[in-house]
Amino acid sequence: MENTLYIALSRQEALRRQVDVMANNVANMNTTGFKAQRMLFLEYLEQPDRQQDSMSFVQDFGLMRNVAPGPLMVTDNPLDVALRDRGYFAVETFAGPRYTRGGSFQMNADRELVDGNGLPVLSDQDARIIIPAAAQHVTITGNGTVMTEEGEVARMKVVTFADEQRMETLGGGLYATAQEPEVLENPQVAQGAIEGSNVQPVVEMTQMMEVVRQYQNTQKMIDGEHERIRTALQKLSRVQ
Amino acid sequence: MRSLSIGATGMLAQQLNVETISNNIANMTTTGFKRQRAEFQDLLYQNMRRVGSTSSDAGTVVPAGVQVGAGVKAAAVYRINEQGNITPTGNVLDVAINGQGFFQVELPNGETAYTRAGSFQLNAEGTIVTADGYNVQPGIVIPQNAVDITINPNGEVLVKLDGQVEPQNVGQLQLAVFPNPVGLEAVGDNLLLETPASGQALAGNPGEPGVGRLMQQALETSNVNIVSEITSLISAQRAYEMNSRVISTSDQMMQSVTNLR
Repeated sequence: MENTLYIALSRQEALRRQVDVMANNVANMNTTGFKAQRMLFLEYLEQPDRQQDSMSFVQDFGLMRNVAPGPLMVTDNPLDVALRDRGYFAVETFAGPRYTRGGSFQMNADRELVDGNGLPVLSDQDARIIIPAAAQHVTITGNGTVMTEEGEVARMKVVTFADEQRMETLGGGLYATAQEPEVLENPQVAQGAIEGSNVQPVVEMTQMMEVVRQYQNTQKMIDGEHERIRTALQKLSRVQ
Repeated sequence: MRSLSIGATGMLAQQLNVETISNNIANMTTTGFKRQRAEFQDLLYQNMRRVGSTSSDAGTVVPAGVQVGAGVKAAAVYRINEQGNITPTGNVLDVAINGQGFFQVELPNGETAYTRAGSFQLNAEGTIVTADGYNVQPGIVIPQNAVDITINPNGEVLVKLDGQVEPQNVGQLQLAVFPNPVGLEAVGDNLLLETPASGQALAGNPGEPGVGRLMQQALETSNVNIVSEITSLISAQRAYEMNSRVISTSDQMMQSVTNLR
């Protein structure tokens, strides 16, 4: 008899997590290279005792990352790079390579090209990219080759993966995956710009309004159900 | 409600963004000022259903996991060391740097600070000092009877003494260059200090490879682009509002729970 409540509760739980995901999208609307996430829902069918009608619960079974490129924002910083199309830059961590689209790179005191977390950016030879000491101007060409007036330094490793949805988000703009990286032959690298987040605030806002209403509707349903059970109990006890 | 605290991280981030932008705007006419940009990163994620986990004994892999993020954090506020415009001033002791490099300034405590603001003056002893009266290294003294001062693009300070025809070399201005000038620490008053992130200062004469050239009777203006700052300010304000909207939405959801009988 309480199944109505449990089904409604499963809906509310899922809606609440959906708001969490949307809140994270909105919070990251100015985060370099951030990709908006969307919750996927699944009907979870159950037929108790194999006799009654089947019941369908809601389950949030996955998150899809919108992998569409974000808008390019010009910063005029020579070490800022944006990927115009697909791909990820590879950076070196203690735990192995990690991948990122946040191209706000800098030079550390050893003149290595590092990302915003200070992790060294890898070249297509899986080596760190070191800018020569005498170089004054760093140019990064459209295919990710790092040049100075002294000549070519290295080419950035830009990779993609068979299933981008199966990359684990680590925070700090980093992704990890066990998949084999596929090196992109012709990446589209833009210098002096960074990729903005692809969150569409208007979409997030309207969906959030929708979710809140759905949450309240479910609440009303729970209220109604509660009322129904109470009246039933009162009336039944009166007959007796 | 997780979304409540996520919205709060968003508001804090945008607040920092507005603070950075307003500091840029406040310094739009500060000599040699370099604009700053706040850079954000997503916070940690909580795995509710791990990416790549299996959903059956047959080894079916979940197409996408459920990872809920915890919001946003400020990753860095970095300086954009783009060359500022060079404006002529007509003042003989105004020197602008065209290219990389910083003037070296001796602070009262003996430390060396670095600056791009070349609005120099003479003190009572005739030494070239900054607007705050700190010695510009190496201390160059202009003789009392000098009638004309020339600072050439290579940093040589030449003075013409009263009654003499040939200019006389009284010193050489040097510039310091850093492996990573973005890593310098700003301490206000147009001064920057060396840090482990910036690397060691390397002194060089202006005009050498990698060291900028000097331009006398001119100053480097700030590189703040007011139009882009104002547009960033507007978008930061809107982002702030939207994050506060997230908080009020979470509040509405919590309220409807509270009203549950």
